[in-house]
Amino acid sequence: MNLKSYVDLSELLKENPSTQGENRAFGLTHVLIKERPLEQLSVWTEAHKEKLKRPLLSDTFSSYLYGVTLTLVLIAFVLGLLSGIGLLSYNGKEPVNVIYFMAMVICLPLFTMLLTFVSMLRARSARSVLVHLSPAFWMEKMLALLPGKIQENIQAFKINPLLANWVIIKRSQMIALFFSLGLLMALLGGVVTKDIAFAWSTTLHITPETFHDFLRTVAFPWREFVPSAVPSMELIEQSHYFRLGDKLSEEMITHASQLGEWWRFLAFATVFYAIFLRSLMLLLSSFGLSRAVKQSCLTLDGSVRLLREINEPIISTHTKQTKIASASNDKGYGQIVSTLDASYDSIQGWAITEDELSVLSDSMKVIAPMHAEVGGLNTFEEDAEVLSKSHGEVLLFVKAWEPPTMDFIDYLEDLSIKVDKVIVMPVGTTENLYKATDKEIDVWENKLSLDEDEKVWLKRSSAKTPGREVRNAES
Amino acid sequence: MPSPREGDFGHPKFAVVGHPNKGKSSIVSALALDDSVGISDTPGTTTKKRSFPLSVDGRVLYELFDTPGFQRARKVLAWLEKHHVSADKKHEVVQAFINKHKDDKRFNDEVELLEPIMDGAGIIYVVDGSKPYGEEYEAEMEILRWTGQPSMALINHIDESDYSEDWKRALGQYFKMVRTFNPMQTGMTQHMKILESMAQLKEEWIAPVKASMKLFEQYQDQMLERSASLLARLVYKSVSTVEKRTLKTEEASKKDKEKIEKKYKNRLRNLEVTTQKNIEEVWNHDHLKKEEKVLAFEGMDLFSEETASVFGLTRKELIITGATSGAVTGAGIDLLFAGHTLFLGGAIGALVGGTGAFFGFDELSEVKVLGQTLGKRYLEMGPMENRNFPYILLGRAIYHTVKVAKMSHAKREMFDINMDQTFKEKWLSDTLRKDLETYHKKFRSGKALEPRELREYEELIENVLTHLING
Repeated sequence: MNLKSYVDLSELLKENPSTQGENRAFGLTHVLIKERPLEQLSVWTEAHKEKLKRPLLSDTFSSYLYGVTLTLVLIAFVLGLLSGIGLLSYNGKEPVNVIYFMAMVICLPLFTMLLTFVSMLRARSARSVLVHLSPAFWMEKMLALLPGKIQENIQAFKINPLLANWVIIKRSQMIALFFSLGLLMALLGGVVTKDIAFAWSTTLHITPETFHDFLRTVAFPWREFVPSAVPSMELIEQSHYFRLGDKLSEEMITHASQLGEWWRFLAFATVFYAIFLRSLMLLLSSFGLSRAVKQSCLTLDGSVRLLREINEPIISTHTKQTKIASASNDKGYGQIVSTLDASYDSIQGWAITEDELSVLSDSMKVIAPMHAEVGGLNTFEEDAEVLSKSHGEVLLFVKAWEPPTMDFIDYLEDLSIKVDKVIVMPVGTTENLYKATDKEIDVWENKLSLDEDEKVWLKRSSAKTPGREVRNAES
Repeated sequence: MPSPREGDFGHPKFAVVGHPNKGKSSIVSALALDDSVGISDTPGTTTKKRSFPLSVDGRVLYELFDTPGFQRARKVLAWLEKHHVSADKKHEVVQAFINKHKDDKRFNDEVELLEPIMDGAGIIYVVDGSKPYGEEYEAEMEILRWTGQPSMALINHIDESDYSEDWKRALGQYFKMVRTFNPMQTGMTQHMKILESMAQLKEEWIAPVKASMKLFEQYQDQMLERSASLLARLVYKSVSTVEKRTLKTEEASKKDKEKIEKKYKNRLRNLEVTTQKNIEEVWNHDHLKKEEKVLAFEGMDLFSEETASVFGLTRKELIITGATSGAVTGAGIDLLFAGHTLFLGGAIGALVGGTGAFFGFDELSEVKVLGQTLGKRYLEMGPMENRNFPYILLGRAIYHTVKVAKMSHAKREMFDINMDQTFKEKWLSDTLRKDLETYHKKFRSGKALEPRELREYEELIENVLTHLING
């Protein structure tokens, strides 16, 4: 994973280009990388990249980063070159003080590398205290120079602070490295193109012996391999320079050719402290950036879900079929009776035995010359016999809790042809003293309303609308 | 004609059949963990059979069928009984009935319900044990006997009355097994028991149904994991979120500050609502009916004092948590210096943590005016400084998740969130509070998190959810 894949992944997760099923299919076809989440994310990103809008934000982002880095690197190189030329400028009157150059190629890099270390340790912070020292500020300034839309896209892209900090740390190291290369170039150029008389000068009371020891310490990485790049005691003594007086000492002039020997030391100091150590820092920051990219990919919003979808089996219990809604009638049934008459031509019970019918009739205080069970365990011949005997007004008890089936509706249709009036009365359980609930009667009313028959009436204990009672009275 | 069993080489199938309005769809809904199954008080709502396969990566382990109820059972039985055949040929007569009446609208429901059975499905005959037994059921049971397929009866209790003893006596004469199942109160244990019974219907079905049972347990774990992940992300995002607003003037006016606060709060509210929706999807409750006020926890807004008093920590608890957390950090310094700090690190840490908690009890987050970058000034609010907020948010989220997870898929009434004042005690122990505070501190700092840290936080939440949901 690199920065580009991070941006691509981030964009893809926002777009959500694949379904759970497709992601799982991806997981099943890439079993070799099953236990490697980063690799899975990387391969998945590559597989879906084509679904992103062109130009890719990752391309825009990386070309912006490349452009900014290149510009800053060139500026740093030129600055390094100019600084080097400035530091090594020799007017022929005063020798070049090596301490300035040493400060630039040893002290400054060591100090900035220390700052970098602190930044690396604080890379997780959203706002690093050192951010103002970094080139990020200038990178943002340069963003303003980009065309409007690109600028908006880049600004809208929210990068993980950890990643942003490591990007800046790495870029800082590159810029510093090129600054140092500029310095080295200036030194080598100066040495080749003119004779530079180096000397050392300080206000501090430092004896040549102490200075020699210090330089030997500074040169510890190369003193064993390139002894000529460590200034000798003699050279140090000869090049000790005091600004008092307007002329160079006789001794310095006598050994003018030796004064140039300092360049080797300065070149090695630049190579080791400003370039080699900086390169190590650059390597470290590259490693840190790569780690940050990996971590950021795993903490990206949606990546955990994506990995789950890739790795976890899809367990499904759902149906793919949609339910077809059946017809229902909410307008209610038009023929309702609220009270029963005292007698009927027959009392019938749908799946209610004759014994139960007798008890029910007593309970409801209704009488009839004929009691008959229909439906239930009856055969159709038995039902037909009851039908043939039916006439006039029929009170038909039904179990309120049992919803009306089409078997019942068929019988009701046949019955209504034979008789003048049928009153369907849903009754509750014995436990509830035959009282049906409103909800149960609603179910019956709903069913009867689907096939309105003017001979069929429904008995409700309390009529829903007074208007319907009037109709009953009129009938 | 081949018997249905001869052609049955696939996965086990179960057809849930019965009288209209006896809770077939509720049972399917509960067993399939699918709240999209249409459940209605009106009989005959189901007119077409619907298949609910339990599949893993597309491989079906078993299949449930929701079927229409019997409408003309007596007529069907009369047709069957006209054919005098020996017992081994009875299923052929049922098949002949299907073939003959496939396009007959009168027998649409019977054909729909018999087809999967004749295709090899085991029969799950559903009755309502809260209503008296009736002889009209016998025609249905007789038809099912004619199919010759393995069968069991499920006694569902739609209401409170209990006639199950009568039912058991009657059903026992027709079915190999009779079990009681309440789809409204189904839990994992009850679900597994029914699957176990279903497995016993046929020897060949034992292995696949047992595999399905294991899979259901895995599915439950998956749902717990996903919920924990969503909840962890909700807290992390809410606590670490930063709202920015460009300032046009030099100084931020009171109105500017109010606007950014409103936007900031709305963003957090939206995060909560989105997570609730995602949690409902995870638990297959995406069809939940909810009232607007319920969404906001009975009108208890995320930032209301009432919410804070129900779900948040008290000032005292918060100070103890802050002090403990500070002391742990300080103790780390003491340890580093091998106690040469005279344990001042721990003491100072506790003091700083406790004081911070005391003063951070009410404040939400400071509104800051920031930056001159590119000549622009910003108003910024966040990350959340209120130390109580993550506990409030997490408490509400856990409460909602537990409610959703424990809700039967057969329920269709309004999703009711009744506030429970003792809920906090059920999930938030002193130890857990200290553990959570470590992560809340990191979230507040705005530092980038390591994937490991978020996973650890998820695990803490998952343990709570497992305890509350599975008991």
